[in-house]
Amino acid sequence: MTQNPLEKERSLLKRGWWLILLIIASMIAPFILTEFYLTILCEALVMSLFALSFNLLFGYMGQLSFGQAAFYGLGGYAVAMFVTKVNFNFWLSLLAGPILAALIGLIVGFFCVRLRGIYFAILTLAFGQLIFVIIFKWHKFTGGDDGIQGVFPPAYLKSAMAYYYLILFVFLASAFILWRIINSPLGQTMKAMRENSERTEFLGIHIAKYQLITFVIAAAFSGLAGAIWVPFYRSVAPAYLTWIKSGEPVMAAILGGSSTFFGPILGMFIMTFFHAYVLGFTHFWPVIMGTLILIIIFLLPGGILGFAQEKLKERRNRQNQLTEE
Amino acid sequence: MSFDILFNQFLSGIARGAMLFLVASGLSLTFGVLRVLNFAHGSLYMLGAFITYSIWKFLLIPVVGFYVAAFLAALVMGVCGVVIEFFLLRRLYSRGWPEQLLATYAIILIITDLVKWQWKGDFYSIPRPPPFAGAVFLFGFPFPSYNFFVILLGLGLVVFLWWLVYRTRLGDIIRAAAHDREMVSALGIPIPWLFTWIFVLGSMIAGLSGGVSAPFGSIGLGMDIDIIVECFAVVVIGGMGSLPGTLLGSFIVGQVYSFGIMFKPQWALGFIFMVMAVILIIRPWGIFGRPER
Repeated sequence: MTQNPLEKERSLLKRGWWLILLIIASMIAPFILTEFYLTILCEALVMSLFALSFNLLFGYMGQLSFGQAAFYGLGGYAVAMFVTKVNFNFWLSLLAGPILAALIGLIVGFFCVRLRGIYFAILTLAFGQLIFVIIFKWHKFTGGDDGIQGVFPPAYLKSAMAYYYLILFVFLASAFILWRIINSPLGQTMKAMRENSERTEFLGIHIAKYQLITFVIAAAFSGLAGAIWVPFYRSVAPAYLTWIKSGEPVMAAILGGSSTFFGPILGMFIMTFFHAYVLGFTHFWPVIMGTLILIIIFLLPGGILGFAQEKLKERRNRQNQLTEE
Repeated sequence: MSFDILFNQFLSGIARGAMLFLVASGLSLTFGVLRVLNFAHGSLYMLGAFITYSIWKFLLIPVVGFYVAAFLAALVMGVCGVVIEFFLLRRLYSRGWPEQLLATYAIILIITDLVKWQWKGDFYSIPRPPPFAGAVFLFGFPFPSYNFFVILLGLGLVVFLWWLVYRTRLGDIIRAAAHDREMVSALGIPIPWLFTWIFVLGSMIAGLSGGVSAPFGSIGLGMDIDIIVECFAVVVIGGMGSLPGTLLGSFIVGQVYSFGIMFKPQWALGFIFMVMAVILIIRPWGIFGRPER
């Protein structure tokens, strides 16, 4: 049976009551959670946005980017520079993050969209590492290893609760925009390129052009995620651009299910809270992450939501067969 | 700029290229036959370097201690290769490439923490072993004679791999399997067995090159990503899975690095990427590579 991803998404949204429930829950969360858990929730939201932007490339366009953290980090650095060095308006500085990430994404993407599959993954990883090395070694401009400290938001956003609402708003707005993009003609083109790039090309669609557009959008939203996080954390460091960081959205997507819109969000929430829990007694997080990846690949292909949808569809098919009989 | 300085840089570039070839050839060989890109190749290299250090430190045999240690480290990495191929990769050949890539990425994370836990994330170095401890004077410039050892080893590996791939029965099978896996299997050749051995060979080359790199620079966390990024540049320039391509790519990257560092040390990697970008525009599949199907 052929499956239509779009139909799958719509059927999920039809049961939209849980979505409304979740949004209400996130609205009242700061009044219930302790400061520690509120911080983790902020991180989970920001990283979810990061994972969503990554999954635009991976889940929808079918290309695995292993250098997405470069754009996340660039967004963070742009805000940090504008706020600390030129004392720029905070809101305009926030905007500088996604703009810088999109510009660099345009340059990097220009080369990356020429390649597919493994080669695309290699090239994004290599470019990500290049950007990391530049920021790491350009000590005079970026602070090198030390990063940039003292990135403060304006006074009215200094409390964790106030900033949480900003993050929540940016997250919901971005998620909505990404949702609309995926269900727009551009989104259909992405999926077509994933399913069969040759046929898509024969339809008269300029593959490289649309892949570049998608790449830049993904870079911009990754940059936005970095930009919104840095003033909350008050500092930025080259660690934000490492390939370990690039691996996190990859893992979130496969954990939650890369074929679904909400999969990366679910995956990132599980990972972030699990990370906070694990850090309580060990700092060997990578080995746990690595083991988890292997477990998911072998035991849960398709991720949690992918697996759940598979089961749901099977049940529906069985019911359909019964009614037909 | 006089000739002797340029010649010195050229020779350093050759040595660096030889080092790169040692690592990238294993990566390229594995990919050529298995069609699996081993992200963890750099991690095997790093682990090989750390194990060489520990064995060297433990044995403390004069003169030949380092060579014995590097050889033993290669064997240990060969065993690691068996474990990785047999328990992980073998179950993933029928799956898509993203899963294969992710599995090797998971291995990176596990090896990184293993090294952090066992060697505490410190930096180590091994003195250059005799008879390559000193320096050779060329046009009045001191040139570490260990670099000649690395170049010789690189050339030795070129000859060995060429002989293996083009002059043996195993080589015939390797080339045939890279071309049409199903046909080879239909001829009664056990493909899983072949894959295991190729992966083991690749891992051993990684381990050996890690050991050889120890007196070349210093050993530390992060050397895995540094080398794998340069190896990716090598295979992208030369063409994935091609032996002559890897050789040419190593030579180019080594030279670009060596002369780039002369002008602006921080931008050496940037220069390599510029070359890569040019190649990608002209021939996206690399100089000796085959276009993707």
